[in-house]
Amino acid sequence: MEQKLLIVAGVDIGAATVKAVILDGSKVLSFSIMPTGHSVTQAGESVIRKALENGGLSFNDLEYIVSTGYGRRAVSFTNKAVTEIICHAAGVSSVISQARTIIDIGGQDSKVIGLDDNGNVANFVMNDKCAAGTGRFLEVMAKVLDVEIGEMGPISLMSKDPCQMSSTCTIFAESEMVSLRAEGRSREDLLAGVHKAMSRRVAIMGKSVGFRKEVVFTGGVAKNVGIKKALEDEIGLEILIPEEPQITGALGAAILAKAELSKLGAR
Amino acid sequence: MANYYDGLLKLCGFEDDEIGTEGPRIEKAFQKLELVSEDMKTAEKRITKYHDMELSGVRKLIRAWLLELTDLVLARDEGKKVVYYGYPSIQGPGMAMKVASKQEIYVGCPDVVLCHTLGNLFGKLTPILETAEQNGLPPGHGLCSLQQVRNGGLAKGIIPVPDLVTGSSYYCDMGSKADELLQEVYGHKAIYVDGSMDSKWGEYPDYLPQRVEFLGAQLNKMFATVKELLGVEMTNESQDKAMATSRRLFRALGELTRLMMADPMPISGVEEEMALNLTAASTGRSITEGPDAVETLCQELRERVDKGVGVVEKGAPRVLNFANSFSDPDITQMMEDVGLAMSISITTVATPREYIDCAITYSTMGEQRAQRAMIDGFYHSSFGIAKRIEAAVKALNVDGVIWNYQFNCRPLSITSHLVKKWVEETTGVPTLSLESDLYEGRNYSAAALRTRVETFAEMLRARKAFAGA
Repeated sequence: MEQKLLIVAGVDIGAATVKAVILDGSKVLSFSIMPTGHSVTQAGESVIRKALENGGLSFNDLEYIVSTGYGRRAVSFTNKAVTEIICHAAGVSSVISQARTIIDIGGQDSKVIGLDDNGNVANFVMNDKCAAGTGRFLEVMAKVLDVEIGEMGPISLMSKDPCQMSSTCTIFAESEMVSLRAEGRSREDLLAGVHKAMSRRVAIMGKSVGFRKEVVFTGGVAKNVGIKKALEDEIGLEILIPEEPQITGALGAAILAKAELSKLGAR
Repeated sequence: MANYYDGLLKLCGFEDDEIGTEGPRIEKAFQKLELVSEDMKTAEKRITKYHDMELSGVRKLIRAWLLELTDLVLARDEGKKVVYYGYPSIQGPGMAMKVASKQEIYVGCPDVVLCHTLGNLFGKLTPILETAEQNGLPPGHGLCSLQQVRNGGLAKGIIPVPDLVTGSSYYCDMGSKADELLQEVYGHKAIYVDGSMDSKWGEYPDYLPQRVEFLGAQLNKMFATVKELLGVEMTNESQDKAMATSRRLFRALGELTRLMMADPMPISGVEEEMALNLTAASTGRSITEGPDAVETLCQELRERVDKGVGVVEKGAPRVLNFANSFSDPDITQMMEDVGLAMSISITTVATPREYIDCAITYSTMGEQRAQRAMIDGFYHSSFGIAKRIEAAVKALNVDGVIWNYQFNCRPLSITSHLVKKWVEETTGVPTLSLESDLYEGRNYSAAALRTRVETFAEMLRARKAFAGA
């Protein structure tokens, strides 16, 4: 007799995007990423439906769902809500088992997570009060410089003389950027300066946790090669990026869903 | 005919005949505080949501706070001399002043009273803060909200202009500056109790005698000024009498702290905080109403402990926390909601005996108080605080520490990094350095802090499970 698949899902309801991962055993069947939009409840449901659709599945196929992210409690269809810090640790450890430090930069917050040798959270620090050091900072700067978010990294790597940005506040940094632009600084130098300033913020924040190899970079901002380089320069270590850095939280949630299901099965 | 405040007073443990006698006073105070019928409904909802009103001890505690608020607001109208002290204050002189006074005198810390009543109970602190922001303590300047509370209270005319203020400048530089501002505006007398906060990392429990001598001289100057201005002579005898007066309350608070250590934790840290800070805010109702309220609460908690009843799961990670929010119980409840037993406040952990048994003794009253402050560690230095927390972690066998520091307090925010590092290195117990605001709710909400606290709770649970495996 064919054994019934134990399909679980993890959904990460972030400030800027929602992500869902469908897992069968240890295998990722499908995933989906969408903008959060105005309703976290709606976005959470849409992203999980899309991920199911991508895998040729329906809601009824799911045995257990874990939600994470700042909107983790806003959705009613989940069995358990777990913080994104715990989920990122589980997700990253599953794809890079040697990971000991995670830098996660999302749309609205940034975190540095220290892992123990078993991949569990040993320490963490988080910034979600100030937009500096988050994806929002990059969005504001991209708008000022009229650059697509996806182009920021490659353009910044062409810089020969990155600008020095002293402001630690996004709003003040925007004004500073406008002044530097008026001075005639190149777009490459301006973007490299933005990345350097942001990386410095994250590196300083993470110092209390410490950066231990392997350092893994996740979140939407991890797709920016300019930030990756600037962060490597700041912390003096090579940084690894998972194939899909945006879904590690959702992946971790799915892995925890599987663990919860196993616990229930064991009872 | 029923009064608009009857429902609230009944909820808070006032008897019918007492509403008849105290009602007019309370009504007069409420009028000054601009608390109307709608505010009574809000308060009833908040109190029912945040406080364990099944317990007679809790009702008595809230009643004590409401009476303290009334005493504060009406102090001048009722012909009393008014003395305010700052927070944190050196323990002892306020109560000694009260017991030594031959005339009717109100001695208290209005900032802390308003946080616990207008903030915690009525959820109406913001208008006070905004008034302060229009009166010399503007927003965006990183100013301590405790200073804004007093400033706003005076500017709105809801608390009386004092005859005398004794500053808390021995620990807080902003307190003395805020007092100076208020002194200029309102013309009252102010005594600045300055101290020297310089001490080498690693020095505690040793200390420089000069520091005790300096702070002691400042306190002696304060005692002399109080005598000169108010005719109140504080002596060793009045200090002893003050200690004796407070003994019953402190004994009950000690019992409360022990009961809070039960597993499961029998009551929310919100109530413990209300009980502990009554002593920090008041020299009046803390003594007349406080002991009975806390003793009643202890009796009820003993029954809960015997029955194994608690507000968090049995076996929940036990956390030593720096302090709970004065005005926003939502934050403490969130910490408990994620499964932490938040019962222990560092302010209740006794100074280890070996620190108290020191060789140097001083002859003057001021120096004796200064020496005690030095031995306690909190005034001594960041290292003193770190050592006290290390000792408490070891003695109480807690699973974690939350250093939820006041973000705009320089001594506390600078100490946060050092405390975390030291405690984790010396005890191996995880420490969460949590930037927050202990006095007002506009800067940090429970929702904003939840991810950090929830992750910390999960970490502690995983460590406990691993250790138990």
